[in-house]
Amino acid sequence: MKESRRPVLTDDELLAGLATGSDDVLNQLYRRYFPMVLHFVTSNSGSEDDAKDIYQETIVVLYEKAQSGTLELHCQLKTYLYSVGRRLWLKQLTQRNRFMVRDIETPAADDFAGQQIDADLTEHEERDRQFDLMADSLDRLGEPCRTLLEDFYIRHLSMQAITDKFGYTNPDNAKTQKYKCLMRLKRLFFSEYKQS
Amino acid sequence: METNDEKDIEGTLRAYGERVRLQQKLTAIHSKLDMDAVREEVGLYQAEAQQSGQIRSLWRTYRTTLAVAASVAVITTFGSIFLYRSYQQGHRQQEQQYSLLSKEIQAVKSSQRKLLSDLNGRGRALSVNPAQVSGSGFMLTADGYMVTNNHIIRDADSVYVQSPTGEVYKARVVHADQTYDLAFLQLCDDSAFRALTPVPYSFDAHQSDLGERVYTLGYPREEIVYGEGYLSSGTGYRGDSTAYQVAIGVNPGNSGGPLLDEKGNVIGIISGKQTTSEGVSFAVKTNYLLKALNNIPVDSLKGLPLRLNRKNTLARLPRKLQIKRMQAYVYQVKVFKHKD
Repeated sequence: MKESRRPVLTDDELLAGLATGSDDVLNQLYRRYFPMVLHFVTSNSGSEDDAKDIYQETIVVLYEKAQSGTLELHCQLKTYLYSVGRRLWLKQLTQRNRFMVRDIETPAADDFAGQQIDADLTEHEERDRQFDLMADSLDRLGEPCRTLLEDFYIRHLSMQAITDKFGYTNPDNAKTQKYKCLMRLKRLFFSEYKQS
Repeated sequence: METNDEKDIEGTLRAYGERVRLQQKLTAIHSKLDMDAVREEVGLYQAEAQQSGQIRSLWRTYRTTLAVAASVAVITTFGSIFLYRSYQQGHRQQEQQYSLLSKEIQAVKSSQRKLLSDLNGRGRALSVNPAQVSGSGFMLTADGYMVTNNHIIRDADSVYVQSPTGEVYKARVVHADQTYDLAFLQLCDDSAFRALTPVPYSFDAHQSDLGERVYTLGYPREEIVYGEGYLSSGTGYRGDSTAYQVAIGVNPGNSGGPLLDEKGNVIGIISGKQTTSEGVSFAVKTNYLLKALNNIPVDSLKGLPLRLNRKNTLARLPRKLQIKRMQAYVYQVKVFKHKD
C-alpha cells in the first residue's frame, strides 16, 4: 500500500525514469508488475523462485532497452512485460517439456508488437551469451586481475581507491596493471567468443 | 582491429558490470518485498481473473469446435429452408402460378338471375342448389355440340349449361381430353334444346401471328363479359406449344371461352392465366381442338356426326355486331360435384 502514497507514474514516466537510471522508478516498476508475473508463472506450474527469476530477467530486458534508448513500445508497458515474461517462461517450460499455457492476461496480440518483442528477446539472448562468456572469462582470469577489473568496471571504484586497495605505488601503475589485465581478459574472451 | 577489440572488450565489460549491478539491485528490491502482501495481491488478481479467466479459457479451448458447430447449424438451417422453399415453389408453380379459370361459384353470391322469371322451373333448381364450379363454353355446331375445358367438368356429377338468355340445359360429357385440357359436351340429349341457327364463326387451325388482335366472351360473372387483347406469344405456359399466350384480362369463369381473331375465326380456347404476372393468359390452340375432336370415339357421338362450321359469316362485320351475333353461342357451364 506504499504505492498509493507515492504518485502513480505513467508508462512514459516509468520509461523515462528507467532511462536515467532512477532507483526509485526501478523499485516502483518492480513492485507494480511483479504480482502479475508471479501469478502467471505460479499458475503455469512454476514456483515463486521461478517467477522471481523470470521477472528479473524481464525487467533486465526492459531496463537495458530503455537505457540504450532503443525501446519502442507498441503496446502498454504492462502488456510488454507480460509478453516478455510469458515468452521467457514458455522457453523454460519447453526446455522442461511442458507446453500447455494458461494465460491470465492477453499477451501482445498484433503482429507488429509481437515481432518487436521477438527482436528484443533475440537481442537479449545474444547479450546474455556475451555476459555468460564474460563471467566465465573473468573466472578464468584469476586474481588479482579479476578483482581489479571488477572493482573498476562493476563496482565503479576510483583509480585512487584501487591503488590504495591493491597497494600500488601510484595510480599510473594501477592503470598499467589494469590495462594488462584487460588485455588478458580480451584474449580469453575472444578466444571463446570468436569460436562460437 | 587491435584497438577495436580493446574498445569492444572494455564496452562489454562495462555493460556486463551494469548488468551485474542491475541484478544486484533487483535482488535487493526483491528481498525488500513484502511477499505476503504480494501473495495477497495475487489472490485478489486470481479471484478477479478466475471467472472471466475460466470463461475465456473455455472459449479459447472450444472456439474452433463452437465455430464448426455454429457453421454447421447455420448451413443446415438455411439449407433446409432453401430446400423446402424450392420444393414448395416447384409445387406452387404448377398449382398456383397457372391458375385454371374455372370459378368456384359457391363463394359467389346468388345473382340477379334468380329474379328472372323461369316458367318451366329449370332455373329454380339451379338457384336452390348453386353449382360448385362454373366456366364458359361455346357451340361447335348448331345442333348442340359444345367445347369447354376439361378442368371445369372434371369429377363432375352433372353438367348444366346456361344460355345468355337464361335457359338451362343438361349436358352430357361426350369426351374429355386431358392432354389438351378440352372437353366436349352435347346438349341434344335434352329435349328442351332446339337447334340454333348455324354458328357464325369458323375455326382457324393455322398458327396465328403475334400481335393479332383477339377478343373473348365468357362468364366470369353471371352475365356474359367481353374482353379483348392481343396475341403475345406463340407458346403457352412454360413453353407449352399447344397453347398461345394472350395479353387479355381474364378471370375465373372465363375458362372454356372462345378466343377469336378480328375476322371472327376461333383461334383458341381460353384455359388459364399466370398468377405471378398481370395480363398473361393462355389459350389452347384451335389446331389441338381439331386433334382432340378426331380422338373422340365414334360410339360417344351416338351416330350424330360432329361437323365443324367452315363458313364464317362474321368476317366483314364490325366488332360490335360480331359480338352480338357471337354471344348467343357462348354458354355458361355449371358443374355439380358431390361434396367429399
